[in-house]
Amino acid sequence: MAKQIDLLQGTLDMLILKAVSLGPLHGYGVLLRIQQISGEQLEIQQGSLYPALYRLEHQGWIASEWGESDNKRKAKFYSLTAAGRRQLHSETEKWNRMASLIASILRTKSEQI
Amino acid sequence: MNLLTRFRSWLKWMVKRRRLESEMETEARFHLESYAADLVRKGLSQQQAMRRARIEFGGIESHKDAVREAVGVRWWGELGSDLRHGLRLLRKNPGFTAVAILTLALGVGANTAIFSIVNAVLLRSLPYRDPDRLVRIFFNEPGLGLRDVRFSKPELDDLLTRSGVFEDATPIFSGSENLTGVGQPERVEGVNTSFSYFSMLGVVPQLGRLFGPQDFMPGFAPEAVISDGLWRRAYGADPNVVGRTIRIDNDPLTIIGVLPRGFRHPGPTTTADAEVFGAGGFSGDPFPPPIRGNRVLVNGIGRLKPGLTLPQAQARLTAMAQELRHDFPTEYAPQAQWTIEIQPLQGTLVGSVRPMLLVLLGAVVLIVFIVSLNIANLLLARASGRQQEFAVRFALGASRARMVRQMVTESMLLSLIGGAAGIATAVGTLGFILRFVPSNVPRLNEVRIDWVVLAFALLISILTGLLFGLAPALHSAKDAFSSSIREGGRGSGYSTKTSRLRDFLIVSELAFAVILMVGAGLLVRTLRDLLQENPGFSPTQVVTANTWLGVANDPKTDPYLNTAGRAAFDREVLRRMKAIPGVELAAITSSIPITNSNPNSVGGLPIEALAIEDRPVESSRDLRAERIRISPDYFKVMQAMLVRGRTFTESDEDGKQPVAIIDESTARKYWPTRDALGRRVRFGEDPAKEWTTVVGIIKDIKNDGLDVDGIPHIYVSVFQDSNKQVSVVLRTSLPANLLQPQIRHAIQDIDPSLPVFNVVSMNDILDRSLASRRFSANLVGGFAGLAVFLASIGIYGLLAYMVGQRSREIGIRMALGARPGDILRMFLRKGVTLAVLGIGAGVVVSASTASLMASLLYGVRPHDLAVFLVVPLLLFAVAILASYLPAWRATKVNTIVALRES
Repeated sequence: MAKQIDLLQGTLDMLILKAVSLGPLHGYGVLLRIQQISGEQLEIQQGSLYPALYRLEHQGWIASEWGESDNKRKAKFYSLTAAGRRQLHSETEKWNRMASLIASILRTKSEQI
Repeated sequence: MNLLTRFRSWLKWMVKRRRLESEMETEARFHLESYAADLVRKGLSQQQAMRRARIEFGGIESHKDAVREAVGVRWWGELGSDLRHGLRLLRKNPGFTAVAILTLALGVGANTAIFSIVNAVLLRSLPYRDPDRLVRIFFNEPGLGLRDVRFSKPELDDLLTRSGVFEDATPIFSGSENLTGVGQPERVEGVNTSFSYFSMLGVVPQLGRLFGPQDFMPGFAPEAVISDGLWRRAYGADPNVVGRTIRIDNDPLTIIGVLPRGFRHPGPTTTADAEVFGAGGFSGDPFPPPIRGNRVLVNGIGRLKPGLTLPQAQARLTAMAQELRHDFPTEYAPQAQWTIEIQPLQGTLVGSVRPMLLVLLGAVVLIVFIVSLNIANLLLARASGRQQEFAVRFALGASRARMVRQMVTESMLLSLIGGAAGIATAVGTLGFILRFVPSNVPRLNEVRIDWVVLAFALLISILTGLLFGLAPALHSAKDAFSSSIREGGRGSGYSTKTSRLRDFLIVSELAFAVILMVGAGLLVRTLRDLLQENPGFSPTQVVTANTWLGVANDPKTDPYLNTAGRAAFDREVLRRMKAIPGVELAAITSSIPITNSNPNSVGGLPIEALAIEDRPVESSRDLRAERIRISPDYFKVMQAMLVRGRTFTESDEDGKQPVAIIDESTARKYWPTRDALGRRVRFGEDPAKEWTTVVGIIKDIKNDGLDVDGIPHIYVSVFQDSNKQVSVVLRTSLPANLLQPQIRHAIQDIDPSLPVFNVVSMNDILDRSLASRRFSANLVGGFAGLAVFLASIGIYGLLAYMVGQRSREIGIRMALGARPGDILRMFLRKGVTLAVLGIGAGVVVSASTASLMASLLYGVRPHDLAVFLVVPLLLFAVAILASYLPAWRATKVNTIVALRES
């Protein structure tokens, strides 16, 4: 197993929104999807997943619905709401700006000052 | 919008909590099983996979808890479990629970009941249109020390036109009237006013119409408006009552309207509410010509123009009075300093009962304080017992805030249960309590438990809950910090800090008890002094009855217009009274002692101007006396003491030399340096009137009430000088209720149109006159007793607890040779220290606040030495007794058992 990276503080919500934006998922599915996209490099604390899901639902960014899983079992599926889509968009933009800013700071060499 | 979403989600959690919780569980299981299935696929055994999944996921309960916290509903669940825990604790300690809830119910119930009265009487606005603009108008002569003197029609007109501050103003004549023509002749309270009275108050009739400007006439209108009560009682709520004729004091009046049910005339509380309303112009017959000097109008009330403040209006009126004094120098003697004063109507209506109600409110608030201190004490004792529980929970990671919250929840639960019980008590007993409230408290019919009262009760409950819950809660939580499980074991939880807090609670409880007892002591002493006061006559075996000869608007119909007609009636009444078997003596008076509380009203006794022979005329206007008309045997019936001279005889009659008898204080006041016998006085301001000669002096009679230092009284013979008020006093050993039919029969035999009312014994009159004082003395006294009881429970409980906690120490001391006396002294010393501190603090506070009660006292100073000596001693004795019992038990501690137990 490749060495795993701990999740940055506050990014779990954003990752959940992204995962769900690709199609409705149940809780365990969200976990698998994030791990899969990250190439198994991200470790998500299973205990923190559900509070985050419920919090997002509480804020109205995702909605939940009971449905049937692949193995024919009853499961709760989460999907992105319109408000959630807007939120994901603005979070992504903020993240990108922040990332490029920090990257440019880190690239800075002494002669550039 | 976001907020709305959250709120909706929160609401969903509140409402569908059970379903959401089970869904959470289903979801968690699905997760666990899916994960385990994946692990099995990776090669683990079913059992290993399940185990690993559980470890990584964590417990389902803690998972649910984390979710709840994320959504912000965790506290709700905790509240639920705290409440359940609290209820369980209450059930587990039935003794504690019963004491706490009972005392709370009493405290909150007393507060609710008293506050509902205060709310109706003092706080709620008068039930009239724009009540804030209604004022009572007083004409005063401060130079002569007179307030609320009569005024004349021109002066009333000045108020309306010249002052520019009144929208309306009217004098109010209220008093007894004879109602005839419907069944038994009945005596009713009548009110006569200007035609604008009802529009000034903003009243709408339930039937017919009310008086208005179109009815104007100089004298009295031949019409009447009746109250809802009279309409129902006398006319069976007949919808066709309008247009019928009612006879009031023999005048036929046409009923033009019926007042709405809740209407009450805003006047001083008399024996009954006003039921017949008449109106007049005050400028024609029977009124004297409307000139400035003819001052016959009384009790002005008015409505201020909108937008005018009271001080502005007052300033304008003061200025106008000054102008008038300047414009009419002959009408206003300069030394009288005649002036006009206005007061909010509400204030003047409740004036005299305000201090009483405030003192009662103060008493119930003190009681609820003591109750909560007492419960705080019990809770602290319990909290010390729960120390270990808290220490364990603290060690397991409970936060201090969480523990404080739990304890506060528990005490709030207790206080709300107690509060609900208190409100129920108040609702259930209010009617009963109101029966004991003296009837001179106005607006009692408006007393009810409304939202304001309920809000007050809730507030009191919450405050007491916080008071008795927070201190012990903070304390135990703090203790849980410092102490630890290591101390563990039994009963080591009583730390110095907790002990100091409990001491403080006991000391405050004692101090509050002292304040209540001092208040009660002062009130009881006033009452006792009044009961022992010599009224100047012997009230036992005296029965009184009243009739009223009526003041007809048309003099031609009045058989009692002149003295001769009235004297004939009086003689006939006396003859028939003496003929009643069991009546030893009978006499007539125009004023039964003690009942005469409203000297300005018609039917009561006007305070009259008086001239004294050989006195300079300038000073004659400051002489005032109350003239009481009596028949010869009056002093014999009342067993009053003649000091010098003679009493009246049958021959002191019309046409003979007018004679008078005065009491000792009148003699002292008006003839301080010479013998009053043989001196002459003249009533009224008319210099042509005959002089009246003083022929006798009697010992003072308390005519205006036991607690009133009356104005001078002058007695005249009813055969020479009488009025329409005829009261009989009988010396008899028969009770009033037995005599009533015979008295009624005798009087109505002479004149069937006369009502006979208030047939009561003189003792009952004395008794009733003290009803208000007795009520407050009993109530405050009862509360004081309760306070002492609670405080002694507090001391007893504290010491008993200490003895229990320190039984091992006692055992060791005794084993080392301490004698029982030493042990006894050790605990007694504690009790004495607390008692001295608490009582001392209470005495200091009482001494500095007692003067607030001055207006409720009579003949007793607020710093009455006896009260301030007896109360501390009594409470000290109780405190010692309460500490002696546990201390004595300490000496009985069995050394062996105590040592073995630990």
